[in-house]
Amino acid sequence: MSQTIIKQHIPRDDLLASGHLACPGCAAPIAMNLVLKALGPETMVVLPACCWSIIAGPWPQSSLRVPLFHTAFETGAAVASGIKAGLVARGDTETTVISWAGDGGTFDIGLQALSGAAERNEDFIYICYDNEAYMNTGVQRSSATPWGAWTTTTPTNDPEHQPKKDIMAIMAAHRIPYAATASVAYPVDLVEKVKKARTIRGTRFLHILAPCPPGWKTQNDETIDLARMAVERRVFPLMEVENGGTWRFTVDHPGGSIEEYIRRQARFKHLTDRQVEIIQDEVDARWGILSNRVEHGT
Amino acid sequence: MSERDVTKPHDTGRKIPPIAISETSTLVNPTGSWKYIMPRYEDRVAPCNAGCPVGIDIEGYMYLIGQGRLQEAADLLVRENPMPAVTGRVCHHPCEDSCNRASLDEAVAIHSVERRLGDMILAAPPPPAPERTREETVAVIGSGPAGLSCACFLARLGYGVTVFEAAAEAGGMLRLGIPEYRLPRAILDRQIERIQAAGIDLRTSTRVGTDVPWAEVDAFDAVFVAPGAHVGKDSRIDGAESVSAIRPGLEFLKEVNAGGRPDLGERVIVVGGGNTAMDCARSALRLGADVTVLYRRTPREMPAIPQEVREAKQEGVEFEFLAAPIGVAKEGGVFTGITCQRMELGEPDESGRRRPVPIEGDTFTTKADTVLTAIGEDCDLSFLPGDIGTTWGLVEVDELGESTSATVFAGGDVVDMPRSVADALGAGKRAAIGIDHFLREKAGEDVGEVPLDDLRFGGGNVSALRYSKDADPIPREAPVNQTVTWDQMNPHHFQTAPRHEDHFHDAIDLRSAFGETNFGLSQKEAIEEAERCLNCGVCNRCELCLIFCPDMAISRREDGGFEIDMRYCKGCGLCAAECPRGAVTMTREGI
Ligand SMILES: Cc1cc2nc3c(=O)[nH]c(=O)nc-3n(C[C@H](O)[C@H](O)[C@H](O)COP(=O)(O)OP(=O)(O)OC[C@H]3O[C@@H](n4cnc5c(N)ncnc54)[C@H](O)[C@@H]3O)c2cc1C
Ligand SMILES: Cc1ncc(C[n+]2csc(CCOP(=O)(O)OP(=O)(O)O)c2C)c(N)n1
Ligand code: SF4
Ligand code: SF4
Ligand code: SF4
Ligand SMILES: [Mg+2]
Repeated sequence: MSQTIIKQHIPRDDLLASGHLACPGCAAPIAMNLVLKALGPETMVVLPACCWSIIAGPWPQSSLRVPLFHTAFETGAAVASGIKAGLVARGDTETTVISWAGDGGTFDIGLQALSGAAERNEDFIYICYDNEAYMNTGVQRSSATPWGAWTTTTPTNDPEHQPKKDIMAIMAAHRIPYAATASVAYPVDLVEKVKKARTIRGTRFLHILAPCPPGWKTQNDETIDLARMAVERRVFPLMEVENGGTWRFTVDHPGGSIEEYIRRQARFKHLTDRQVEIIQDEVDARWGILSNRVEHGT
Repeated sequence: MSERDVTKPHDTGRKIPPIAISETSTLVNPTGSWKYIMPRYEDRVAPCNAGCPVGIDIEGYMYLIGQGRLQEAADLLVRENPMPAVTGRVCHHPCEDSCNRASLDEAVAIHSVERRLGDMILAAPPPPAPERTREETVAVIGSGPAGLSCACFLARLGYGVTVFEAAAEAGGMLRLGIPEYRLPRAILDRQIERIQAAGIDLRTSTRVGTDVPWAEVDAFDAVFVAPGAHVGKDSRIDGAESVSAIRPGLEFLKEVNAGGRPDLGERVIVVGGGNTAMDCARSALRLGADVTVLYRRTPREMPAIPQEVREAKQEGVEFEFLAAPIGVAKEGGVFTGITCQRMELGEPDESGRRRPVPIEGDTFTTKADTVLTAIGEDCDLSFLPGDIGTTWGLVEVDELGESTSATVFAGGDVVDMPRSVADALGAGKRAAIGIDHFLREKAGEDVGEVPLDDLRFGGGNVSALRYSKDADPIPREAPVNQTVTWDQMNPHHFQTAPRHEDHFHDAIDLRSAFGETNFGLSQKEAIEEAERCLNCGVCNRCELCLIFCPDMAISRREDGGFEIDMRYCKGCGLCAAECPRGAVTMTREGI
């Protein structure tokens, strides 16, 4: 077969409704829709403050066809733990609870709650959709913002000078049963990971790269292409980590120059060729570390 | 479960403070009003369809095969091509040269799939003859691919057709010129039987101009002239006329194809670089001779089908390039061979190929028992009345084959340069449409102009299905008659897969065999090969647009197609960007 018949692997029904308030071309609703397709209707979503708080619609609306709980920015993992405990107390052990947070809510302000829940191995799935900045409040940098990127708090004359935080290593260090990265450009891989996560008990973590046209300063129709390029060029490798020790790549990463990936995003417009090379070196170095983890488990 | 059920009850009795609960959905927000550009499903034309001189919906039958609908695929194929078992074997398949898949890995082996379907069709009894719905009758001169194609399409359009053929059997060059090892006679016979079964009156051994006068064909309501090109060009070898060992290659082929096995001696020189030359060389080889092909240019300029050249080499044919025969060599008055002139390539000529020019003083002599000349064929138009215009020995016609005389149409080798079976079949189809239109107009029907541009696949040949306005078995969404290019498609969702190559007879024991050398593909392989087809330009319901639409604006229609709800589509363009086939277009029209 020379064409993957993707639709055979993706559940048909949408649990996300039209009329939501995401910007045109946003990856975040695509990610949510795929995740909910994989989980099915027996799901509850906890939503700390992020773009998705808006996408979900203003009161009295909800774009989700499953229950959704809006909560404070830093509390995603704590609230999800509590809701799961509440469900179990009421005798419902089957409903999957997910905490759905942005990169700010995960890498920065929500990290303490996430770490605590993971350390206790609370039984829920934590999903970070990562648009690489605080987009909801108008593009401020987070610790997920890549080196060299423009944001309103890292202007072009002094762009982001920290590399992206290695959240997967942090989560793996908690020895949680399952952690994975996923991409909207690889829907089958994403859905399979979510389905797999659903069958596991304990804290499960999923990190989804979610290109953001206004924040990345890209065209609306480039979202999937950029997400795909991020994977192919090893900027955002797709992998799984089981019990913090077994690392595995789940798709091919042919590699190649990241130049086009960077140059197509105007948030990197100010970078010199030399600076793009620095990013390439960083990508290569991280790939080396990751390959080592895949090979040796550390 | 509904949103209401799961958010309630709030337990006020236990003093939990009430919280805001959403009970409606975002469906009330017409977020589609944000867009300034919108998507539209628009199927396009696959380049293979446009590249086929016959005018076949290749993409369409590949799609049907992919769906497991083999019989429908075969029906769609014969709808446009009356002899797929023939073209699947001998066509030079320019469709494959335009196949988009070549940009991904290798072109789809279209000819192999066509051949398999063609053989499948031959295995079944012919369908009942189409109903005779028109009073008029048409005379067709020549039963080569052009004549038979025109006759077949005219019969399907309801006309009475009589085919006049000078030779004892129908088929034209398919029988007279093309050797059996490339086109087994059993296949050809059955293919022609099927065409005849459409109710065609075939009069063999009847040469127009000698056996019957022109006036007899002129008495029909229209005439299609397709006598081919059967007069071998003069070899321009000094003194050749008096040497019986130097003979036209086509004449030799006709003899062999009729069952003759002439003694050519040990060493045969074939002059020329086209299909006739390759067929002469390989046939001579099968009669036991050592064969050398003499061609005045280089391998690159050879007009022969590359596969034929490859096979000739494998079988042991030698090639001498940049050499042209100029004279006869004799010893004691006995023919011993030919003298040749060495050539080099100069400036390009009208055909774009570099012209061979003699290298002054550089000649050589080569031994030969027989020399077969195959440097092209001319047409014998002596039977045509003077009011039918010709240029350079070819009949002048318009796009629908109409000559300068209103009732006379022509096509095939008497019209085309370059010449091929596929071009002849395509010309026959166009002329059938031209004749139908002409006769209806004459009968007083208000037929208007033939919408030629709409009938053509992209810029390619015409579609009989489109002309008939019959239902298309392929579901098409707002089709636009434009060929889809590779850069309008998104290759990321395709995976590479090696092309299935035809199976060939082992070249070793061929020298005395006239059996078929190419066995094609097995049924299973042909189906797998059809599944390599990317369905360029045409939605095959892969549903990627649904999966990637961030706004869930696309839904499935009952009939299998899709609908975009413009109340919610924000015009992001992801559906168009990600559609692997280029079947979604973004437009500002209608906003
Ligand atoms: C040796 C050889 C090999 C070839 N190989 C290939 C190939 O592999 N692939 C390919 O695509 N093309 C090939 N060609 C070219 C191809 O065969 C021709 O382009 C094609 O057959 C032309 O079709 P046609 O119907 O115009 O003429 P023809 O096939 O030549 O048919 C014309 C018919 O008209 C008859 N006729 C002529 N005058 C009269 C008359 N006055 N009255 C009644 N009948 C008459 C002839 O007897 C003949 O049967 C080859 C040609 C030759 C010579
Ligand atoms: C404690 C607290 N600080 C600040 C805010 C304002 N705020 C709401 S969303 C948001 C940014 C969220 O960024 P991220 O988690 O990356 O999600 P995104 O909006 O990018 O999707 C901020 C700063 C808040 N709601 N609560
Ligand atoms: S891939 Fe299929 S539809 Fe596309 S050009 Fe090739 S044969 Fe035609
Ligand atoms: S992907 Fe959806 S929202 Fe975007 S243009 Fe297509 S139909 Fe509209
Ligand atoms: S993405 Fe697939 S389903 Fe959508 S238009 Fe293109 S071919 Fe059809
Ligand atoms: Mg963010």
